[in-house]
Parts: sequence; C-alpha cells; structure tokens
Amino acid sequence: MRVIVVDDEDLARGIVREYLAFHQNVQIIAECSNGFEAVKAIAELKPDLVFLDIQMPKLNGFEVLDLLDVRPRVIFVTAYDSYAIRAFEVDAIDYLLKPFSRDRFDAALLRATGEAGNEPHDAVDNLLRNTRARNTPLERILVRDGSRVHVIPTPMVDHIEAQDDYVSIHSGGKKYLKLERLSELETSLDPKLFVRIHRSHIVNIERLARLETYAKDSRIVVLNDGTKLPVSRSGYEKLKRLL
Amino acid sequence: MHPILKDRRTLAVYLLAWLAPGLMLATLLAITVKASWSGAICFSLPAMLVYAFMSLSAWYVCRAFPLPGTDIAKTLSSLFIAALLSSALWLLACYGWASALEWMEPGLAPRESYPDSLPLLASFGIGLFLIAAAVHYLIESLQSARRTERNALELQVLARDAELKALRAQIDPHFLFNSLNSISALTSTDSAAARTMTLMLADFLRMSMNYGALEMIRLEQEIALVQHFLDIEKVRFGSRLVVRTEIGEGTLSAQVPPLLLQPLVENAVNHGIAQLPDGGLLLLRTERDGKSLRLIIRNPVDPRRIKPRGEGMGLQIVRQRLERLYGVESSMDVQDTGGEFVVVLTLPHHGS
Repeated sequence: MRVIVVDDEDLARGIVREYLAFHQNVQIIAECSNGFEAVKAIAELKPDLVFLDIQMPKLNGFEVLDLLDVRPRVIFVTAYDSYAIRAFEVDAIDYLLKPFSRDRFDAALLRATGEAGNEPHDAVDNLLRNTRARNTPLERILVRDGSRVHVIPTPMVDHIEAQDDYVSIHSGGKKYLKLERLSELETSLDPKLFVRIHRSHIVNIERLARLETYAKDSRIVVLNDGTKLPVSRSGYEKLKRLL
Repeated sequence: MHPILKDRRTLAVYLLAWLAPGLMLATLLAITVKASWSGAICFSLPAMLVYAFMSLSAWYVCRAFPLPGTDIAKTLSSLFIAALLSSALWLLACYGWASALEWMEPGLAPRESYPDSLPLLASFGIGLFLIAAAVHYLIESLQSARRTERNALELQVLARDAELKALRAQIDPHFLFNSLNSISALTSTDSAAARTMTLMLADFLRMSMNYGALEMIRLEQEIALVQHFLDIEKVRFGSRLVVRTEIGEGTLSAQVPPLLLQPLVENAVNHGIAQLPDGGLLLLRTERDGKSLRLIIRNPVDPRRIKPRGEGMGLQIVRQRLERLYGVESSMDVQDTGGEFVVVLTLPHHGS
C-alpha cells in the first residue's frame, strides 16, 4: 500500500512514519508539509491512503480534498476534535486525535486495508457524539475554475442555490458553480449565519432586506441587492426563530 | 435606620413639607374659631413640628406591614389604628401647648377655643398620619427598587470578574495535545529531548497556574512564562518559529497583570507563524517611556488570509483587562497591515 503523510509539523509526521515502519506492506511515497504540496503530490502520485492533518498553512485538510478531482482514501490526524463531523462527511476512513497510541493507529490502518470488516467503530461513535455541539463551521469555500481556485470567505457569500448536482454560490454579484449537494454544504456552514429557506436555497441572513408575504404559505425574501428568493413554510419557521 | 432621619437634608425637606399643613391649620383655625392670625400661627406651627416627628413612626407600621405580601385589610386597619393613637396623643400635646401659650402670652390663643377646634385637629391628625404613611411606603418602594438594581449590578460585576478569571486561566487544550504529540514522537527518536520537553511543559503549566492566581506579577515573570511557551512551540515548529526578545532598560521589574502577554503570544504563533509555510520572526519588545510601559508583539501573518470579523477572543480579553485595571491610562493598539500584525500595549509603569 502506497501512502502520503501530510502534516506541517516534522515531529507529527515522524510519529506516523514510526508507526508505519511496523507494517511491511506499507510504503511512504511522499511527505508534505503544507496543503499545496499535498494537492500536487496526491494528484500526481495517486496514493492508496493519505494521512492528513487539518490545521495547516494556506490550505487546510478539507480544502486539499476539495481541490482534488479524485478523492483519495483519507485518515485525518489532528489535535482538534471539532472537525470530526465534517471529516466523516467527506468519507474519511478514520479520525486520529493527537496524541494517539500505536494500537489506535493500527486499528485505523486495518480499516483502511479493509481487514477490519464492518464492526461498529466505538472510538469514532463517541467522538461524533461528543463533538456534535462543537462542530467548527466552514470559514471559506474553495471553487475550482479550470486551473484557478476561487477562495470565497463564507461571510461574503450572499446566497446559494441548488442546481442539479451542483450548487451555485452567489457572492458580491458573481456566481461560482461547485460540484456539491446543497444539503452537504448546509451542514458545514455556520447555522447562525446561513439558513436553508427552501429546498433549493440557502441564504446569508446578514443580506436580508425584507420578507414579503403574498398568501398564507407564499413568501419571498428580498436581499440587499434586490434578489428575490422563495421561502418554504419550514424555511419561514427557521427564519422566524433566528430573527 | 429611619430613611428620613438618615441624613439632615432629607429631614430638612421633610420638615419644610410640614409647613404647608401647618399654615393650612392656622388658616382654618383663624376662620373657624376666629382665632387671631398671630395666635393661630403660634399655636399651629409648633404643633405641626411635633406631629411631624410623631408621624415618623408611620415608618415602623410600613416596615411591619410591607405592601406586597400582607393582607390589605389588615394593613389598612393597622394603619388606621396607628393614626387614631398618634392623633390622640397629639391632641393631648396640643392641649398642653395651648395651656402653655395661655400661660406665656394670655389672650394670644385662648385655651377656651380648644374644644371648638377639636374636630378640626383630630381630622388633621388622622389625615396627616395616613399621608405620612403613604409617603413612607413610597420611599420604601423606591429604596427597594434601587437595592434590587444595585444587587443586579453587583452580581453582573462579580460574574464578569469570574468570567475573566476563568478565561485568563484557560490554556488552549490544542496546545497541550500538540505538545503531547511531539513528546510522543520524540520518545523513540530522541528520549533526552522528550524529557526536556516534558519538563518545559510541566514548568509552563505550573507557572501559568501559579501566576494566574495572583493579582500582579513582575514583567520578568511574565516574560519567562512566555519564553517557556515559545520554547515548547519551537520544538513543534522547528526552524519555522524564530523568536527575538528585546527587553528595554528598567522594564523587567514593572508590575503587570499575570498572563497579559501570554494570549497575545499564543495568537502570534497560532494565527501568524503557524499559518505560514516558512514561518517567520516573532518579536517581543518591552520599552519604558517615563511613567508608561510599552509592550510590543510583532509577527508576520499570511496577507491573503481571511481576516476574522471583529476582534478575536484573546485580544478582547486583554483589552477588557487593561480597561478594567487602568482605564484611560492604558491602551491597546492593533495594526494589521501588509502581512504584519502588531499589538502595542501601553500601561502605567508601576515598579515593585
């Protein structure tokens, strides 16, 4: 099995290296100390597994995955437990909390090789239960456009619209298309700032100019830039609760 | 203590207010019993003065029967009985005063007219006592409102203090986890370094706990604490973290609130150095300028990073603590331009 280890700290890569040395069938093909290097190495070398830190300079672990056409199989390695929910939303194999034991590490590796079977994963279940309330919201959205990457800070997003398999992100009069489901994006956004007002619309509540009611269950919101968006009944309930 | 007797001004205002019924009584006496004006006034005003003091007793009725919580009929009947009693006493006093006046100045206020003015005096006595009781109830309710307000404020201040204390004593758990991870990595490759790091971590934790409990520490101690923190972070970040400390003359003995620099240095590492692939230089500088002490922390930041909305938690806490301790004598200046983040704290230089 060919693996890449991504962490901005030397010592943190060192411990992964040390634990991996006990597994003869595993070979480290690259080590990266930041997100850019990781994107490049993963795209070029197509590893079977990536050990990925989350808090790194320039690009964090999730953003690295976002920029890859083919997502590798990933085990997150981090000191922060508040990203656990999002980690499993991007289908992480496991989530190792620093510092971790060799047993815990080997268990994660077993899951990656598929030898662990489908038995329940107690460590991860506990983690998810404990961190649900402390989920760290997304700070920025990355959108690839050919070879360019647009970075949109989430507070700058006006509203988001679902379009088939894509979401169209509206920010400052510009529109960015991203391959993602609206429901997935919704869970990673700050619930104090973004509300799903409709099956296919999420709105930044700081952009709301007014709410207009036409009939009992027919309402629209008007944003500061004049955009009008439909509001469903449950969307209206959510708005009422927030405002 | 009686609220009216508590200070002279209130008492003066209270007695002045009694001038009105005093003059009214004099007028009514002059009209009804055809007393001479001077006689009526000489009788009424001192009589009213006496009654003013007697009516202060309404306070005790108010205290015994606080308005909310007591049966209203019971309160009213007690008040009425008290009014009857005190006015009866007053009538006796009035009789005494009328006799005294007769003896001092015969003919000024003839005692024979006393029985005729009895109904008038009695109704004044009862009425005024009831009014005095009403005034006392009013004072009592105003006072209790002010008391509740003050208690609420005091509680708020206490809560804020506790909150600040808890916040400044807080060590970022991720710092601990990452340091422990470094130690775990070092144990097999360089056990001596692992031990050194364990000791540094222990020292840092002990220092921050000890200092956190104090009101003030010497700047020297704070610098040592920060130095420990940076030494630990240097093990993690390696060559990415370079630290330069410039200590100004006569600054080390200055008294500063504990853990004032620590959150700022932590920010400089977490939001500055750690976000740069090649790291950078963290400058810590202390200066003394006459009576003021300046503490400067400068670090590079990723110029393309997303600036957080508003001030982060660490900066807010430091700002609040400075304001609370030194008010306008202190300031916190934050510059965030061109890939450089500078925090300048200015506070009064108190030597130890």
